[in-house]
Amino acid sequence: MRLYYWLVLAANCVSAATVDTAGFDAKVRPILLKTCSGCHNAGVRSGDLNLAPYLDAATVSTDRTTWEKILRKIESGEMPPKGIPRPPQAQLAELTAFLHSEFARADAALKPDPGRVVARRLNRNEYRNTIRDLLAVDFPAERDFPTDDSGNGFDNIGDILTVSPVLMQKYLEAAETIASAALGADPLPAKPLERAYETKAGTLRRLDYDTVEARHRVDFDGDYVVRFGFPGSRGADAKAVMMSFSMDGRVLDSMEVETKPSKLVYFDPFSDGEMRLYLPAGDHVFRAAFENDDFVKTFTNDKDAYSAKKNKFIASITFIGPYPSKVEKPSRKRILVCDPASEEGCIERILTTVAHRAWRRPVTGAEVAGLAKFVSMASAEGKSTEQGIQLALEAVLVSPDFLFRIEHDPNPDEVHRVSDVELASRLSYFLWSSMPDDDLLSAAESGQLHEPAVLDAQVKRMLADPKAQALSANFAGQWLEIRNLDSIAPDPKLFPEWTQGLKNDLRTETEMFFQYILRENRPIAEFLDARYTFLNGPLAKFYGIGGVQGPDFRRVELTTGQRGGVVTQAGVLAVANSYPNRTSPTLRGKFILDNILGTPPPPAPPDVPALDVSEIGTGVSMRKQLEQHRSDPYCASCHSKMDTLGFGLENYNAIGKWRTADGWFPVDPSGTMPDGKSFQTPAEMRSVLLDSLPLFSRCLTEKMMTYALGRGMQASDNRALDEIGTVLAADRYRFQTLISQIVHSLPFQSRRGEPAGRSIAALRPDEPKEKVH
Amino acid sequence: MKPKAPAFVTGAALPRRAILRGMGAAIGLPFLDAMAPAFAASSVPGKPPVRMAFFYVPNGVIMDAWNPDYVGPFQALPRALKALEPYKQDVLQIGNLTHNSGRALLDGAGDHGRCCGSYLTGVQVKKSVAEIKASVSVDQIVANEVGKQTRFPSLELGMDDARQAGDCDSGYSCAYTNNMSWRSETQPLPPTLDPRALFERMFGTGRPMTAEQRAQQAKDRRSILDFVTEGTHKLESGLGPSDRRKLDEYLSSIREVERQLELAEKDNSRIDPHMDKPYGIPADFSEHFRLMSGMIAIAFQADLTRVVTFLVTREGSLRPYRELGIADGHHPLTHHRNQAELMEKVRKINEYHVQQFAGFVEKMKSTKEGDRSLLDNCMIVYGAGLSDGNAHLHEDLPTLIVGRGGNTIKTGRRILARRETPMCNLFLSMMDRMGVHMDRFGDSTGKLQGLDLG
Repeated sequence: MRLYYWLVLAANCVSAATVDTAGFDAKVRPILLKTCSGCHNAGVRSGDLNLAPYLDAATVSTDRTTWEKILRKIESGEMPPKGIPRPPQAQLAELTAFLHSEFARADAALKPDPGRVVARRLNRNEYRNTIRDLLAVDFPAERDFPTDDSGNGFDNIGDILTVSPVLMQKYLEAAETIASAALGADPLPAKPLERAYETKAGTLRRLDYDTVEARHRVDFDGDYVVRFGFPGSRGADAKAVMMSFSMDGRVLDSMEVETKPSKLVYFDPFSDGEMRLYLPAGDHVFRAAFENDDFVKTFTNDKDAYSAKKNKFIASITFIGPYPSKVEKPSRKRILVCDPASEEGCIERILTTVAHRAWRRPVTGAEVAGLAKFVSMASAEGKSTEQGIQLALEAVLVSPDFLFRIEHDPNPDEVHRVSDVELASRLSYFLWSSMPDDDLLSAAESGQLHEPAVLDAQVKRMLADPKAQALSANFAGQWLEIRNLDSIAPDPKLFPEWTQGLKNDLRTETEMFFQYILRENRPIAEFLDARYTFLNGPLAKFYGIGGVQGPDFRRVELTTGQRGGVVTQAGVLAVANSYPNRTSPTLRGKFILDNILGTPPPPAPPDVPALDVSEIGTGVSMRKQLEQHRSDPYCASCHSKMDTLGFGLENYNAIGKWRTADGWFPVDPSGTMPDGKSFQTPAEMRSVLLDSLPLFSRCLTEKMMTYALGRGMQASDNRALDEIGTVLAADRYRFQTLISQIVHSLPFQSRRGEPAGRSIAALRPDEPKEKVH
Repeated sequence: MKPKAPAFVTGAALPRRAILRGMGAAIGLPFLDAMAPAFAASSVPGKPPVRMAFFYVPNGVIMDAWNPDYVGPFQALPRALKALEPYKQDVLQIGNLTHNSGRALLDGAGDHGRCCGSYLTGVQVKKSVAEIKASVSVDQIVANEVGKQTRFPSLELGMDDARQAGDCDSGYSCAYTNNMSWRSETQPLPPTLDPRALFERMFGTGRPMTAEQRAQQAKDRRSILDFVTEGTHKLESGLGPSDRRKLDEYLSSIREVERQLELAEKDNSRIDPHMDKPYGIPADFSEHFRLMSGMIAIAFQADLTRVVTFLVTREGSLRPYRELGIADGHHPLTHHRNQAELMEKVRKINEYHVQQFAGFVEKMKSTKEGDRSLLDNCMIVYGAGLSDGNAHLHEDLPTLIVGRGGNTIKTGRRILARRETPMCNLFLSMMDRMGVHMDRFGDSTGKLQGLDLG
């Protein structure tokens, strides 16, 4: 047995020559020649593929990527396309089985390669979450930092996340802002500052007759006196009104405002009111509003509404401060774990604790001593110990140990397990988009985290934590592209329902649906079709579903076939579309191929004519136009599947609302897939998708693995992906099994070293490429 | 600590509390006007330096409205350029420049990703969604040379927020279309989109501080940067080459920030922290353009930088121009299949972009520098990475140079290069005028002759 094993291994080491040539010549070559090479040859290059070089059996091993693609196209029934004579199914099955066994044989012989992830900078979400969990400070990184670029569909890809001087400057300023917000050690200005916003000066904006808004930057955390000016008066028997004052949409306080004429003042009536409030530093939107003020409803023009003789209204907001506050910040407790004034060695303890958590690894005495120098430097300058600690905290936050997730190669020539501490960060940024908490970090530091039972327990615990919502916001948000809800712009004339409220509701639906499948460990098949979704009153109304009232979301059973699964959620339908004024069956079909089935079509050839928008719904139906387009066999091979799937979704308009007609034409959602399966309704189309569950499983696994590792998938990952697929199928495709399998996989747990010599050569800038013109 | 009176620029230039009238459009209006005179005094004595900028518009233009039917001195301007009529004596239109590296060659589809990636780099970028690779862009080569003399070696601006998820063009990473400046072959420089962020980068965050506090902050920042630099060197020794490359990016960014800190100390003391600032990104395209380009003018006037790139909108932009009554996305429209109605809409968008640009030219022209205008000492390229967006053509790219580059460019006319002349030839000639002398850049075949000849 063992001898046999070694023989196989030795044979495979010769690599390319070991493909079963006889089998290839019998099972693959004839079909390639007879069926495929009519289009995929040097002249036509349909789908950018010329098969001539692939008539050589050795390419199965030397160009695995292309063969993988060929295999998927055949298995999905996309190839050979309609109109090309099909070989008998048995022959195709032999071909695919041959390729599978060759791949499996090659994989078994390969030295397992976990791949390698380059040091990853925290992206904006991760930065914000890490600051929240480290210091209990909310820092809106997505507003302050430049947009992170994305690759492979995700914005956490190590290679793509670069650092520019602009970003570095932002990191430095952010560290100051955050450290100051966390500790507040700097003395407040000796005298309070005053800043007035007035409607007359145009600095206070009138939203309606009883609401005003100011955008104000609070420079220091602290207490402020906020003073309101109310010119004018109402009738002698007018009632007092309640005025609310809110910051960024959250009511801070309210007060009663008397509106009757004062007995004392006859000319130019005016009164004012004050609140004393704690305001956090930062840019904020402040609003003051008279609540339930029926009086202003009687006004029909600005002149009367802002006449001091006829009305009392809000005309100014003045911020005076800062004053020292008694508000106890939770962040101070996190940092000041002891009292530096009375306890020996406390400064070191404070710095050790914060650096340990921020850098997500044990810190050395020398590192703490380096940080402690900031405290002595501050005291030499006459500043307080807390100011010194604040400065050291800034240094901690600008350090590469905080900004990057760095993994070490103890032996650069070897594949090795990542350390338990590194594994903890891999896990927490995967599941939480944030730093490890104390529980996870101490499991790692005690050296137990890699033990399967410990790891499983941690994953279970972490998925139950509310922080796991990061998976729906960041993973699902990018996988299903619903992050783009804010950037698509349907024509408001055609789609007046497309409001911020609807966008938020659509996002919530998809996120809650994802979270439910995750939390309840449901089969991933439910992403493709489920008899339930999550709705609130307005969204149920948009969907035409009765019996759901109010703003709160809840699970709703679906009783008709109109909706089910992510593909028929309106948010997904809207982003998959991205044309402002019409649906695009092609783009929607492409979305399914890209994100659900994992069989992306090749890019469109250059000069391909686009659809004429102006004709849609008038002269000829869009379906007719696209069918015309597809009658060209050159287009058909890609479009037959894309468009067919897209037409199955024509019952949903550009913003995902149900319809039965498009312009003048009734919607025809029926279609026949390249492999012969046909459907009449969106519900039937979903069951066709369900037939492709293994493909979907593979697609979701690849996407999630990409997200978890922060790098694209490579041929060497196939073994791990196949193994996960097998386990997942055996466990009815349950979602948590997928996550746990990823966490236990070789690429997640290990890392390939990088020999210094080889890669330095690879880093040398290439000469300008010689190209054939 | 006894607060000392801060040394603000006040008086006529900056009213104590500038007044905003009428909301919406007026946000940020006063500061542009207020800043200019405040900074005029800081202009460098002696011969004014030459500056360059690149304004990039995506998805090509309709060429029948762009090219006139003559060569030589400008007569009537073609329709797309009409807004530049008052300044046409400052415009040089160059025909027949090509970016061969934007073409498919053997890389297949993805002309939008490729043409933006190659526009300033002159190389065919790597077709990949995860491993990005281009080359140092022309603006950065110049910035590396002349940038040490100004507070910012260069500024990168844009107006389109990056699409946050999905693939950008047929296998090309979004990095190629989100950015146009490349600091190294793997490090694109993201454009600043928010006028407020740009303002604060140029003039500081404006937190009220005394001169001592400001000096203290600069000192603290320096010691923090020293600390992390030292720590990073130690860390690097234990890492593999690709990880080390990431940290080298980080270190070189730190060095740049340190240098800016020094220069900022001088500049920021002249800013009134209570000055009104732009707040966020205006919803109105033309207002956004006005604010961003207005700050370019100030940056040039105050010699804060000599190199600017401005990615007006991204390749493949789907922006509908509702202000022009156009509800369709820009990119789908440009695939017009020669249908008159659609082409007309694209022409309108092209005109609209040039109109915005003309506002900037007007500002540059009306700003005095010595006995000339600021514009005379600049070379502002306005161009696109595609000519015909319908067919994705990479030849005869729409290209204007506005400004005379310190009296080294003869403007007021249209010249035609030989067909297929590399765009990189023009870049080499521009580099010369910036004092950066190179023999080759990208796929150049020599310098573009005749810019200064009648």
